[in-house]
Amino acid sequence: MGRQAGFIISKILELLATLFLVSLLTFVAFSVIPGDTAQVILGPDASQAQLDALRSELGLDRPMIVQYLSWLGGLFTFNLGKSAAFGTPVAGLIAERLPVTIGMSIIALIFVIVISYPLAILSARRPGKTLDQIFSVMGHILFAIPPFALSLIIITIASALFSGFRAGQYFAPSDNFGGFVGCLILPSFCIALPKIAMTFKYMRSSIIEQNSSEYVKNAKGHGLSDLRILVKHVLPNSNVSSITVISIVLSDILAGSLIVEQVFNLPGLGRLLLAGIARRDFPLLSGMVFYIAFITVLLYFAADILGSIADPRIRLK
Amino acid sequence: MENIPEERIRHIHLVKVHDLTLSFPSAKGEPAKPVLDKLSFGIRDGEILGLIGNSGSGKSMTAYSIAGLLPANAKIEEGAIKFRGKDLLSMKPAERRKMLGSDIGMIFQEPASALDPLMKVGKSLEEILISHGIKDKAERYNRISDILSTVGFATPEKIYERYPHQLSGGQRQRILIAGALLLSPKLLICDEPTSSLDSVTTVAILDLLRKLCIDMKITILFISHDISAVKNFCDRVIVMKDGKIVESDTTEDILMRPKNPYTAELLTNARLDPRKLELTPAECDRTAEPVLSCKDVSAAYTASLWGRWDENRVLNGVDLDIYPAEIKGLIGSSGCGKTTLVKTLLGLMKSEGTINRKSDNTGAVFQDPVSCLNPSHTIMWHLKEALRPYKRQMSKEDIQVAIDNAIETVGLDRGYLNRRPGELSGGQRQRVAIAMCVITRPKLIIADEPFSSLDASSAAEILKLLAKINREHQVAILMITHNIHIVRAVCSTVAVMDAGKIAEDGTCDKVLNSPESDATKKLLEAENTLHS
Repeated sequence: MGRQAGFIISKILELLATLFLVSLLTFVAFSVIPGDTAQVILGPDASQAQLDALRSELGLDRPMIVQYLSWLGGLFTFNLGKSAAFGTPVAGLIAERLPVTIGMSIIALIFVIVISYPLAILSARRPGKTLDQIFSVMGHILFAIPPFALSLIIITIASALFSGFRAGQYFAPSDNFGGFVGCLILPSFCIALPKIAMTFKYMRSSIIEQNSSEYVKNAKGHGLSDLRILVKHVLPNSNVSSITVISIVLSDILAGSLIVEQVFNLPGLGRLLLAGIARRDFPLLSGMVFYIAFITVLLYFAADILGSIADPRIRLK
Repeated sequence: MENIPEERIRHIHLVKVHDLTLSFPSAKGEPAKPVLDKLSFGIRDGEILGLIGNSGSGKSMTAYSIAGLLPANAKIEEGAIKFRGKDLLSMKPAERRKMLGSDIGMIFQEPASALDPLMKVGKSLEEILISHGIKDKAERYNRISDILSTVGFATPEKIYERYPHQLSGGQRQRILIAGALLLSPKLLICDEPTSSLDSVTTVAILDLLRKLCIDMKITILFISHDISAVKNFCDRVIVMKDGKIVESDTTEDILMRPKNPYTAELLTNARLDPRKLELTPAECDRTAEPVLSCKDVSAAYTASLWGRWDENRVLNGVDLDIYPAEIKGLIGSSGCGKTTLVKTLLGLMKSEGTINRKSDNTGAVFQDPVSCLNPSHTIMWHLKEALRPYKRQMSKEDIQVAIDNAIETVGLDRGYLNRRPGELSGGQRQRVAIAMCVITRPKLIIADEPFSSLDASSAAEILKLLAKINREHQVAILMITHNIHIVRAVCSTVAVMDAGKIAEDGTCDKVLNSPESDATKKLLEAENTLHS
């Protein structure tokens, strides 16, 4: 077995161990905070006998360890039981809301890359000059405004500019896919803005660093044009280090979408989560917390593996 | 070398520099002291012209002016540069860029980082051809193969597929030469091309350049502070100081009969001559128990991608004993495993075989004192940090005494304790690194090329200091170096490494005067060519 395979296996083991800990913590957390699923389902007027009957039906009277194991098994089979508040299976609820959150994350990531890279390249051409300073100040401002405030500002601006724009409009992807994507663009932009500032700042300094490296000097000495050096040498090298940053940005985007979809009134995971919290819907909450953690851990895992593939020094030495 | 060899006599000037004045004006446009001051000289077609001078004398800026690679904030105040009669300074940037590679080739100092680490070297070379408009893929491949064999690679198709980190320093420098010569330029500018190479590789690279100079009819501008390389390589030498030419003449006249006192001083300072230092290292007892004893030590870097197994065995059964108070030299060409041996001896790398240490306390001094110290902390902090493992057994007063003693031992004033590394010179930083070793009272110090990043006078001071510490503290020193003069001056025994093994080990007298192994003979031969 080679070192690369060993590296990947050790990363997979790390991933599994993390997920196990996450599942344990999630379960324990929802076991100790006050609240009773049976009470939520039956309402405040239920009698003790009714509560006991439902508890035993839901398996809540079993020992903790048995409850944990059956929950853990449910995570793997996507059978997380019924939501206490909605009365439908948790897995179905999550699957229903997933397209909005995933769609927003993808569009936001595209915004981040498409906007921050060119700005970083422009800024890094003449560090410290006017253009660079303007971009940097704008970046700081965007970075400092919280996403929900940014959302409100952008809704106001968009409503004033486009007469056709109506905040809170939503189309299901199965009915009108174009409309679905369309109504995600503004919220995605709101999530992306602070992340654009963050990625811009990182890429800018990474490109400046690569620009002062010996191999760039050497390539110039061979008569390569600045553009060719940028595309063929500088950007690939900057990308190796930016893979990690992008994975952090992506998990931040996921977290950011939870708030922004509330402002834009979109039926994503964020609103489901808030509804679950308001109604103490423990089966729903524990499942969601676990899956969100799972996606985050998976992103970091993917970044580690991609990083090791992109860099021949890690790959071969 | 009194005369330019007949086959290279072509007396026309390839490059004429006339009254060139260059400065770095401040951002507000205030005039600054010129870096080049009304510089005028010519490079004759076919010659190898050396450019020497202290750092800051303007050597590199002269080269960059000719190549058109000046930093953005540099300003040419006046003057002209003509290349085969064409005025370079009035050309557009795009035109000048096209000349780079096709008319003027450049080779830089750092072969270690001058290649894109993510790109196969063949692809890097191909980029040059693509940039110069060679569209046919097969033609590109053939030209790259040809140039790779010209610079001495037996199997170009294998080298094509390599990444830079898989090549040695000498191999990388050959790749860079190949890149510079790919489009057969007329002028090759070499900016300190050998300063980071060992003597065997330096001789090989200089031989190659000289051969190419004749075969491909190339003119070379050779910038160096390595007087021995200049002496063996250049036909003519220009000496620079503060952006002006001090004198210029044939290599022999400059080196043997310098007219200007600055040149004379440059020549004496340029070479560290340890024999003049009168070093008196400690007497050592080779019957005592060794402070460090290696038996059959092996180590390898292993790698594999998706199951393809690749092992790079660097150490192959090393036997080495170091006795108390002994200064042992360890020499060998680059890539022979010296640095890996240091890593295993310090426990920084896994190894097979047995390493017996009499005490766990081993100090280490490395090549580059700049990156060894933390720039954001004071020297005091560094010394305290070195004592951290012993802190519990020491009182505050003990620590203060130990710090005072250490800083005094390395010959620095107590005032330096509150400074940060950035406020110190290279030699002073190396003293701090040594103080961090000495403060723990080690039985053995491993010094891995501690002089190679220092100028000659600081190197001499550090060498004296190490000999003094050896004598006064009875510390054994393993001195890894590529300078055989240092070994002769200070070491009592020397081990020669080759291909991961100790090829020869014995007293300096025996090993260096009547060498038995081929590795030793090769090293001594290269040394003689360079420093005769």
